[in-house]
Amino acid sequence: MFHPLKIAKKLKACGILGMNARNYSVISALNKRSLYPLFDDKVQTKELAVKAGINTTKKIGLIEYQHQVKNFRNMVQGFSEFVIKPAHGSGGKGVLVIKKWDDNCFTTASEKHLTYTEVYQHISNILSGLYSLGGQYDVALIEEMVHFSNAFERFSYQGVPDVRLIVYKGYPAMAMMRLATSESGGRANLHQGAVGVGLDVKTGSTLCAVQHNKPIEFHPDTKADLKTLKVPFWKEHLLIASKAYEMTGLGYLGADIVLDKDKGPMMLELNARPGLAIQIANASGLKKAIKNIDKNYPKNLSAEERVDFILSKT
Amino acid sequence: MKKLFTVRKILSFFLAVSLIFTAYSAYYKIKFWGFDIKPNKITEVWTIDAHISFKALGKDVNVSLATPSVSKEFKVLNEDIIAKNYTFSKDEKTGRIKFQSSKRKGRQNIYYRLTVYDNEDTRGKVRGKEPEMPEPPLFDEQQLQMAEEILQSASVFEGSLPQKLILLFNQSPLDETVEAFLPVKASLHERANIIIDLLSLQKIPARLVRGVKLVEGKKASNADLMLEAYEGNRWRLYDLQTAKDGLPKNFILFQRGGVSLLDVEGGERSTIKFSVLKSVTSSFEMAEHRAEMSSTAKLYNFSIYRLPLLEQNILKWLMVFPLGILVVVFMRNVVGVPTMGTFTPMLIAMSFVQTGLSAGLVCFSIILFIGIALRSLLSKLNLLLVPRISSVVIFVILIIQTMTVIGYHFELEISSAAVFFPIIITAWIIERLSIIWEEEGAKNAVKEMFWTTVTALATYFVIASETIRHFMFAFNEVNLVILFVVMLLGTYTGYRLTELKRFYPLVKEK
Repeated sequence: MFHPLKIAKKLKACGILGMNARNYSVISALNKRSLYPLFDDKVQTKELAVKAGINTTKKIGLIEYQHQVKNFRNMVQGFSEFVIKPAHGSGGKGVLVIKKWDDNCFTTASEKHLTYTEVYQHISNILSGLYSLGGQYDVALIEEMVHFSNAFERFSYQGVPDVRLIVYKGYPAMAMMRLATSESGGRANLHQGAVGVGLDVKTGSTLCAVQHNKPIEFHPDTKADLKTLKVPFWKEHLLIASKAYEMTGLGYLGADIVLDKDKGPMMLELNARPGLAIQIANASGLKKAIKNIDKNYPKNLSAEERVDFILSKT
Repeated sequence: MKKLFTVRKILSFFLAVSLIFTAYSAYYKIKFWGFDIKPNKITEVWTIDAHISFKALGKDVNVSLATPSVSKEFKVLNEDIIAKNYTFSKDEKTGRIKFQSSKRKGRQNIYYRLTVYDNEDTRGKVRGKEPEMPEPPLFDEQQLQMAEEILQSASVFEGSLPQKLILLFNQSPLDETVEAFLPVKASLHERANIIIDLLSLQKIPARLVRGVKLVEGKKASNADLMLEAYEGNRWRLYDLQTAKDGLPKNFILFQRGGVSLLDVEGGERSTIKFSVLKSVTSSFEMAEHRAEMSSTAKLYNFSIYRLPLLEQNILKWLMVFPLGILVVVFMRNVVGVPTMGTFTPMLIAMSFVQTGLSAGLVCFSIILFIGIALRSLLSKLNLLLVPRISSVVIFVILIIQTMTVIGYHFELEISSAAVFFPIIITAWIIERLSIIWEEEGAKNAVKEMFWTTVTALATYFVIASETIRHFMFAFNEVNLVILFVVMLLGTYTGYRLTELKRFYPLVKEK
């Protein structure tokens, strides 16, 4: 039986944050609208991150105008692999990961072969705003590829496992790792069938895991025991997330962090409107976590102090 | 959190104010302008022609005609007088029209035309001044005795005394005493006068009432009579034939009591004949007349109902949109379904209104289907965004054109409905659908299209309803209420219906 009111009551008791409450009580209350352009634009985000001392992927180049598209080849000369992404994209739309390329074609991370025309076409599409929010003209950002740490190799089917941290008033409030599956087509989107693993904010180890909203114990493709997952360099992850607060001034944000095998945790992207699926992966409500931070966590600490505070909590 | 409380409080306050205002305004419109909640309620409009005819005697002529006084018993829409060579004036107090002319001779014709509408609300609630006790009639001994007998035999009938008497006087064959009491071949008028006399014996004031029974196509008839008796502190009307009390439907009072219906000085053999014509009009069209009669004409002149019909029709169409918007807001923020573009569902719904639902649905599906097929060819051509979407727009135009031509040629209504769909919106739907299809798979594309259609249908049923459209137009201040409801929904922080399903696994085990 589906009792809307009963379920709503239960959800409330669990402190689950709904979309309306997120937009109204959290985002519009804590995130100043004027700050949005700073990191809706990945180019600006990157510059800010560098200033704030946050480890992030290096920019190779920027294509702003259609006539620059033909310079693309010169731009990536010397880089055997790179990523092309729209500066104003969202949800991983329009991101092209090139693993290998030669005079004839480009090979993507998912082993697809693209001709030069196709890649140029993709860049043109980015410029014309196909992947940007609201469809306005965009620029194409070309950056270094992350060499993913093999720490998660057992846990992911193709794709990039990344850590998503929700940062509330500078404190990492909830964490999740998204693992691609064959069903999700190597993507890390939960609604497409990726596995969401809720992580303990303090330790970076698995709390629970879900796929399609249902709890699971083993990765459906690699059969790895998800309980054994523990994110290395967890403190560095937390530091990046925590610093993002000072860097952006956003009271509520989502930080996507990937682990590079040489450079350690790197900030991939910041999001002013992080989704709510993290609650399902954690089997726990964000509202509860937020309330706890409001009530029990000290204010006016530096990023390092905040991380220390979290790690010292019992 | 405190700030949030204030915003809600302010909005709730405005919502309450707008509700009160709307309620009052609606009441006002119903009461004074006669607006109806339901569309096209038919009101009967009666045109009564009174034809006064007399022979002037070569002296100054003074004619006085009783007319229905302005009261709440019924509403007079219009009065019109044709009286050649006469000056006329209306005494608002007594409701009599005086026609005057210097010396005239020969047959005179005066026409008085009255347009009234049936005011059902106040029927039968006639109140009047308390009359003086009537003088007992001048009956001789024998008459008095017969009167007593008549009153006696009347007591077997049901109802009040006037009713009993009327019934007795209408018995067939007549009671012997009654027959003897009445003059030979007594007219209705004479009978009524005798009843009045009998009533005055019982100290019941009674009087004759003249008016016009509104019967369609009535031509050149005398005024109709009714009896009015004062009982229980109010005047009650009785039909002189059936003894039914209350103002009957379709009876317009012209004159009551002793004063005459028509006085003619300086003329003889005067007659007044009434003709009645019934016409039907929607109550909405009457609003103007009603507003004119009441003191609210100025306000009415400023309202949208005084605009030219073309503008009115456009506004009528516009006035229903806020409700459609409310549906969209509700579907997105309370139900929580994903739709393609915020107001796309509403635009589709608008087209459905013009095409009709089933034709619209089928036709729209065909356009989308062909559009997506063509668009999939387009993605192989590597076009830039703007030229690509522009091509889709042209595709849509060509599809619509082809379908309309086919529809016309083969008399397929479904096909010719194509012409009503908004080109740009349709093109964007096609574009978005194919992008979702490419990026997130057919399942997501179908899902988003499904919910867009569901929202469009919900909106359609709201804006297509003639009742709702009429209501929103007649009581357009409701839109203020909707505004504040929408704004309040902007502060709604509860769960969306779809979220209950989404987060259900979180509470299932517990």
